[in-house]
Amino acid sequence: MAGSKTWFSRSWPDRCFDLFNFMFMIFVLVITLYPFLHVLAISLNDSTDTVRGGIHIWPRQFTLANYEVIFQYDTLLTGFRNSVLRTIVGTALGLISASMLAFTLSRRDFQARKFISVFLALTLYFSGGLIPVYMLIRDLGLMNSFWVYVFPGMVNAFFVFVIRSYIDGLPYSLQESAKLDGANDFVIYWRIIMPLSKPVLATIALFIAVGQWNAWFDTYLYNGSARHLTTLQFELMKVLESTTTSGSSQDFRGQNMTEVMARVSPESVKMAITIVVTVPILLVYPFLQRYFVKGMTLGAVKS
Amino acid sequence: MKKHDFSLAGLILVAVLIFSLLGCAQNEQPGHRAAESENGDEQAGDSSGGGLEPITFTAYFEDPSPNWNNMQDAVGKVITEKTGVTIDAEFAVSGVDRISLIAASGNYPDLISPKGSADQLVSAGAMIDLTDLIEQHGPNLKKVYGEYLPRLRWSEEDPSIYFLPTYDGVGQTYFDAGGGFQLQHAVVQELGYPEIRTVKDFEDAIRTYMERHPTIDGQPTIGLSLLADDWRILISVTNNAFYATGAPDDGEFYIDPETFEATYHYRRPEEKEYFRWLNHMNATGLLDPESFVQKYDQYLAKIASGRVLALTDQRWQFQDGENALKAEGKYERGYGHYPVTLNEQYVRKDFQGTGFMGGWGIGITTSNPDPVRAIQFLDWLASEEGQILRRWGIEGEHYEVVDGKRVIPPQVMEEKRNNAAQFERTSGIGLYEMFSAKYGDGVLDSTGNYFTTNFPEQIVESYNEVEKEVLAHYNATTWKDLFPSEEEFPVRPWGAAWQIQMPTGSDLSVIFQRCDDIMKRRIPQAVLADPSEFDEIWDQFMAELIEAGVEQMEREYTELVRKKVAFWNET
Amino acid sequence: MEAQTPPASASLGAKSNDTKWRSFCKKAFQQRYLYLMSIPFVIWVFVFHYVPVWGWIMAFQNYRPGLPFFEQEWVGLKHFLDLFTDRYFYTVMRNTLAMSLMGLAVGFTLPIFFAIMLNELRGSLFKRTVQTVAYLPHFVSWVVVAGIVIKLLSIDRGAVNEWLLWLGIIDQPIPFMAKEKWFWWIVTAADAWKETGWNSIIFLAAIAGIDPELYEAARVDGAGRWRQIWHITLPGIRSVIFVLMILSIGNLISIGFEKQFLLSNPLVREYAEVLELYALNYGIGLARFSYGTAIGIFNSVISVTLLFIANGLFKRYANESVM
Repeated sequence: MAGSKTWFSRSWPDRCFDLFNFMFMIFVLVITLYPFLHVLAISLNDSTDTVRGGIHIWPRQFTLANYEVIFQYDTLLTGFRNSVLRTIVGTALGLISASMLAFTLSRRDFQARKFISVFLALTLYFSGGLIPVYMLIRDLGLMNSFWVYVFPGMVNAFFVFVIRSYIDGLPYSLQESAKLDGANDFVIYWRIIMPLSKPVLATIALFIAVGQWNAWFDTYLYNGSARHLTTLQFELMKVLESTTTSGSSQDFRGQNMTEVMARVSPESVKMAITIVVTVPILLVYPFLQRYFVKGMTLGAVKS
Repeated sequence: MKKHDFSLAGLILVAVLIFSLLGCAQNEQPGHRAAESENGDEQAGDSSGGGLEPITFTAYFEDPSPNWNNMQDAVGKVITEKTGVTIDAEFAVSGVDRISLIAASGNYPDLISPKGSADQLVSAGAMIDLTDLIEQHGPNLKKVYGEYLPRLRWSEEDPSIYFLPTYDGVGQTYFDAGGGFQLQHAVVQELGYPEIRTVKDFEDAIRTYMERHPTIDGQPTIGLSLLADDWRILISVTNNAFYATGAPDDGEFYIDPETFEATYHYRRPEEKEYFRWLNHMNATGLLDPESFVQKYDQYLAKIASGRVLALTDQRWQFQDGENALKAEGKYERGYGHYPVTLNEQYVRKDFQGTGFMGGWGIGITTSNPDPVRAIQFLDWLASEEGQILRRWGIEGEHYEVVDGKRVIPPQVMEEKRNNAAQFERTSGIGLYEMFSAKYGDGVLDSTGNYFTTNFPEQIVESYNEVEKEVLAHYNATTWKDLFPSEEEFPVRPWGAAWQIQMPTGSDLSVIFQRCDDIMKRRIPQAVLADPSEFDEIWDQFMAELIEAGVEQMEREYTELVRKKVAFWNET
Repeated sequence: MEAQTPPASASLGAKSNDTKWRSFCKKAFQQRYLYLMSIPFVIWVFVFHYVPVWGWIMAFQNYRPGLPFFEQEWVGLKHFLDLFTDRYFYTVMRNTLAMSLMGLAVGFTLPIFFAIMLNELRGSLFKRTVQTVAYLPHFVSWVVVAGIVIKLLSIDRGAVNEWLLWLGIIDQPIPFMAKEKWFWWIVTAADAWKETGWNSIIFLAAIAGIDPELYEAARVDGAGRWRQIWHITLPGIRSVIFVLMILSIGNLISIGFEKQFLLSNPLVREYAEVLELYALNYGIGLARFSYGTAIGIFNSVISVTLLFIANGLFKRYANESVM
């Protein structure tokens, strides 16, 4: 829409606005790029040299050794596969459940709307605690199972409310005309609401996917002994342990200090791990980004 | 309409309740079945006890072991071959306490090695008493623990043995000092190797050198830098208060050697004087102003820049920084370890003996299908053959015997040094440290070789030329020679007080946490204060401790120490 | 009301109740697809979120793992009394609320502003680049970000002090990290740095849903950029903003502890420790599961209360609500 006019034909305040905006974005670009480049630089720097500090966005003594430390573990492959799998399955199921619930709750005539809204909202603010949840998972037979990655957090109230607020903003007339055509509620949800909600669904998909991708604690708690179910994050967590000294205040008095201390260089490996973990999920973003283009969806449906 | 909404809500709730109760009931069953099949296993196990039939035990260790290779490493294969046992092990990650979940859920692994939360397993009835098993099936265990066997008992009230200590090596001796107060070699070299015995000597050396060299490599010289990043404050700041005033390391307490009375060590008047000295160091500009703000990596970076003249730390903590210096060839910026005390009146007791301390270790749970096989397995690992295998590896592969001496061939040494993780994964050396009883450094086996791969000759070999030169000027061969030796002091009958576990969840542990919070706030304040305000802040500190219940804590802790002394030393 | 009605109309009432019930059932049948699409998930939520709440009973016991549940020692409200009489609890509550409110203010305005500005940006490639880069810091852990912040603010060659010295604004480096009063601001700023890009995604999506015809019409009417933002973009994402705000207000005291913990040092402890760190140090950290649970219950009660208050206020004054 904005592209229809050229720079010179636009009004003076308009140009001023653009200039200011451009400068602002350059500023944002610089300050937000720094931490990531910093991590990248340290991950590519010799670990002993890194201790001296002073590295900003360019490695001082280039090396790939930190990545070699990580990639010597063959369990990473299994972990990678499971992480991809849980991200896909978790995102799909999470998206379906959240959008369905959101759709039903957006219907102001739905009888159970109020009850379900309250019922869901409350889950955001309490938890039974680690021990009861652990016992529930055990009793449901979800220990040592892939589904423990997906099921417990499948229905997320936060996502439901975000999607609902988006659906609320869509013109209700679309639903009504579909109803007159004899469509049932499920058809309306699937044929009309879902396609129109692409931007918000893309956002929620990203949120769920990142959460799934980064999760490791559930692997540790529930699937620690099931090696075929390990995840990338959990394996990398273990790699990190091999380079980090134990943090509890009593441990350092143990006798094996010399042995523990022989494995140093935590900083650089930590950074390499950050890169290894982050890059795959970053690659997802450009695919979702196209759904954020202004007005694309509504315009498409209307015409 | 509203009313109907409500009744519907009620209906759904009831339906959901019924549904979920059904669900729970159904899900209970697999649990029961699992228990039954466990019993079945037990019977099967008993009948086969003692043989070498393959058996797999599950195990959980409360410490990470990232290079664990499911016993497919060289050492692991030999262990399985000799004992028939395969261990299916899980290890903790990131210090998250899983023991309480294990205790709460009742799903115990066959073998378990907890740390601080061992008492939760014991009170849950998860552990079996090993006393008789050791008596009948554990000749090697008995031999290793020897006279210290009674120290394995749980408590006076419950004299069962639940855990075999695996963290502490029996007969451990130290060959080098890593603590004390540290000065750069350049400082003592420049000043002509003065005696560094008291904080006054230490301070004078720093001051003189700083005056002569206000900058190093173009950057301002830093006198004494401390580290207060979370728990590290204990190592770099507060432990020195008792070391410098002639007390050994008993954690946060000072134990009176006569009466066994415990004092929260900050409450000793002499330690106030130590902190007054730190305050004076700050007031005179010799203390790094960032001492209480900097994080660990900043601290290391400063050390690695070569401009920090002095530290009051332990080597394992600042080693990374020093290694970076060495990598650049700046050996004169490395640190020596000096036995500094507040004044001549005190001597350092870094090396005062503790005897075998027992402590954390591995135990057999009630879920174990075959405790006899399990103890036999642990016993074999504690045998001379088992221990040498665990530490040295396989003869001909990881070490050779030359003229009756075990030596590690250079190429293996190379591999071990340059590719430590990979070496551990494939050889298995180091993976089985926490599996059973072991001897410490300095203990000789039946062939006159050391059980461990750390021995005195290595220490001197690892020193660089500058270090050797400095040591020669002080008439010493190792840093430890500068310190009073363990023979000068009696062995502490309570071991070391930091080993005494406060009951988890007790009032004692709460008061301790409170005092710790107060200490971490007040000590930095006192050190950074204007000298005229030091006394006032210190008095406030003491008053807050009393308010937090420090006296009650000391009383209860004294009881624990006395109990331990009586219990350990009864015949 | 019904008790006072004369018997003559009682049957009428019953009848109308009956018809009401019938019409309710009829409507429920009409909405069967809505039920089918929601009830399974409600049950799901009940199992995974509501069932474990039995663990709250622990707060009234001295829970020790491994003992059968009803053999635990019962202590009534002891843990709650302990919590409310602990003076330190009020310190951590002050810090939590302060940092939380500051985070709330910054955590909404900046991402919304950023999303709108991004949306106004011309040039698709530049827009996409900025957007992608801006969310990168979200993936950098707090350990790293805290490390960078502390180094920037260090008095030993820290960039901020070097600049200020160079500009002649100060003649002595300022120990930013050692100043208690600055801590909350540093945490808030670091959080904004790390999360603004990420948090703006949701608003960008909402903006993408606005009908482009509205802008077209506004332009025909001669509305400038600011007026378009004010009259079309902001009202267009209002619903999302309010819903997020209500949910965040409910979360006012559960703000995690990681960033505060990693940025703090002994000199600013009084202003750095938050409720969740307190719960960790004095609850789970000491194996006091009951105390930890009591703090959790306190947390939940406050959160739910805040949620209902926020929901009510927004419903009344903005006609937007979650429930």
